[in-house]
Amino acid sequence: MDGKTKTLILGLGNSLLCDDGVGIYVAAELKNRVDRPDTTVMETGVAGLSLLDLLVGYDRAIIVDAIQTVGGKAGEIYRLEPKAFDTALHTASAHGIDFTTALEFGKKLGLPLPQEIVIFAIEASDVSTFSEECTSEVKSAIPACVEMVLQELN
Amino acid sequence: MKKITIDPITRLEGHGKIEIFLNDAGEVENSYFQVPELRGFEKFSEGRLAEDMPQITQRICGVCPEAHHMASTKTLDDLFHVDPPSPAKKLRELFYSAFYVTDHTTHFYILAGPDFIMGPEAPVAERNILGVIAKVGLELGGAVINARMKNHRIIHMLGGRAVHPVFGLPGGVSKGLNEDERKEVEQIAKDSVEFAKLSLKVFDDIVLKNKEYVDMIVSDAYTHHTYYMGLVDEKNKVNFYDGKVRVVDPDGKEFAKYSPREYLDHVAEHVEPWSYMKFPYLKKVGWKGFVDGKDSGVFRATPLSRLNAADGMTTPLAQEAYERFYSTLGGKPVHHTLATHWARLVELLYAAERLLELSRDPEITSSNIRTIPTATPDEGVGIVEAPRGTLTHHYITDEKGIIKKANLIVATVNNAAAVNMSVKKAAMALIKPGKKITEGLLNRIEMAWRPYDLCLACATHTLSGQAPIEVVIYNSKGEVVEKLSR
Repeated sequence: MDGKTKTLILGLGNSLLCDDGVGIYVAAELKNRVDRPDTTVMETGVAGLSLLDLLVGYDRAIIVDAIQTVGGKAGEIYRLEPKAFDTALHTASAHGIDFTTALEFGKKLGLPLPQEIVIFAIEASDVSTFSEECTSEVKSAIPACVEMVLQELN
Repeated sequence: MKKITIDPITRLEGHGKIEIFLNDAGEVENSYFQVPELRGFEKFSEGRLAEDMPQITQRICGVCPEAHHMASTKTLDDLFHVDPPSPAKKLRELFYSAFYVTDHTTHFYILAGPDFIMGPEAPVAERNILGVIAKVGLELGGAVINARMKNHRIIHMLGGRAVHPVFGLPGGVSKGLNEDERKEVEQIAKDSVEFAKLSLKVFDDIVLKNKEYVDMIVSDAYTHHTYYMGLVDEKNKVNFYDGKVRVVDPDGKEFAKYSPREYLDHVAEHVEPWSYMKFPYLKKVGWKGFVDGKDSGVFRATPLSRLNAADGMTTPLAQEAYERFYSTLGGKPVHHTLATHWARLVELLYAAERLLELSRDPEITSSNIRTIPTATPDEGVGIVEAPRGTLTHHYITDEKGIIKKANLIVATVNNAAAVNMSVKKAAMALIKPGKKITEGLLNRIEMAWRPYDLCLACATHTLSGQAPIEVVIYNSKGEVVEKLSR
């Protein structure tokens, strides 16, 4: 990192719905661990184009979120890039405004969006029960994910 | 047809699923729409301070947090038996109108627009916002972003931040507008009115002047004769923020009109063995199954429903658009589900005009924005129109305002029965023995639920903000014939 690259670490999720909040909890922990002028750590529960709004102005983004894959094991952590979401269930809408498309839309409009995006996705077990805590397998993945993000940052 | 039992355990969590079952002849026998039920809200709310609920519940949904915030705030008014001062109510409605502009804009251009602007048979790679701006111009894409950005600025102004604002309080709001802010809101509102007019023109040029699209809109495959629900003011005009819930029958006649506290006298829930989700219906008509008609208690709560349930709009341009809507489609009520997209644009214009009206109201910069509650809390119900439909919050507390019981009915749940019916009817019309199931055909089935603008908390993950849905088609042996995952 050259100190001039503006980086956003974005914890994404719904902190009312059990494992769906894991991205937010990882970001909350990272706020205590990251202290550099070129890096912002943010938590958000927004969806839709509002996500794009948050990415504007950064050169690089590291996004942390929950994911559910067929056959996935709760607590597993994947490092992904936006292209991986072209066929994923959650980030693609019924209209193909998948992550890649949305970024492309933003760039076509001249929005200064990150050139580099990395996503750390944690396999979730329960995203439908109201709870401000994750299930134990997902909770135990939080420290490991924090370290992975820090490594990515450096 | 081979009887297939749907095992709840096999359902995938986290997204919606539509399962279509074919009979031996290859015709659609049945279809089921399921969404993951959000469990444990009542338990989660127990023991919490009711006053925290506007902040907590707005986190339920990543797409319409303002709707939950407002419904919850109104519930607190009722709970604490406090009537906010007039400037506070106007500020709330101003805030809410700005939110409506952002939300309806996003839905039309990102989710609905591509169906019509690109066409249902267009390749999936083009049926999205990129295809739209390639066709109608980059400038329109910029206008969409601008409309959202400017109205988020209003939310930020009043709520302290654009996301998860801190605004509604029992008896009022936390912040008002000074004159400089008011002027800024007024300008944003003027720009929003122009944008809404442009959006209706886009719809006119691209959809209404295209016979194929109009035929599709009025086709039987996408038509249901149901009851319609929406909030109305004292003159029975559409109001997103406040009023009574009005229900009209399939002939457009008023069937019921009730205050929020009376909702349980009018709406009951039906349970199906194959679904976690319950299906609300009109108690006084009764549950007769997934059928439409006057004898069936199935109702819809959508932008189309709101226009059907009301006698008009309070603002002049929106009223003109409303009249044109009905004269074009053959009078009231309109039963064509795809017309919901048009209704959404009429509402977009109303929201922008209402925003302008309120920004010019002499009370809007008043500092009298809160009445401190003094009564002991006990029970409260608050209803608003979320962009997707009627949203209800209901809290029962002890004398200190600690929640003992809480319930909420979201728009998607209101429309659950209707969505099932819409999908089944479209599937039956489109899937025929021997006919190849193409991408375009599946898209036309998707078009049956898209107008409902399904909003689920799990949509937090999606850039579109809409629920990811999986469509699975089974033959009579229960084997998967086709699968479409979005």
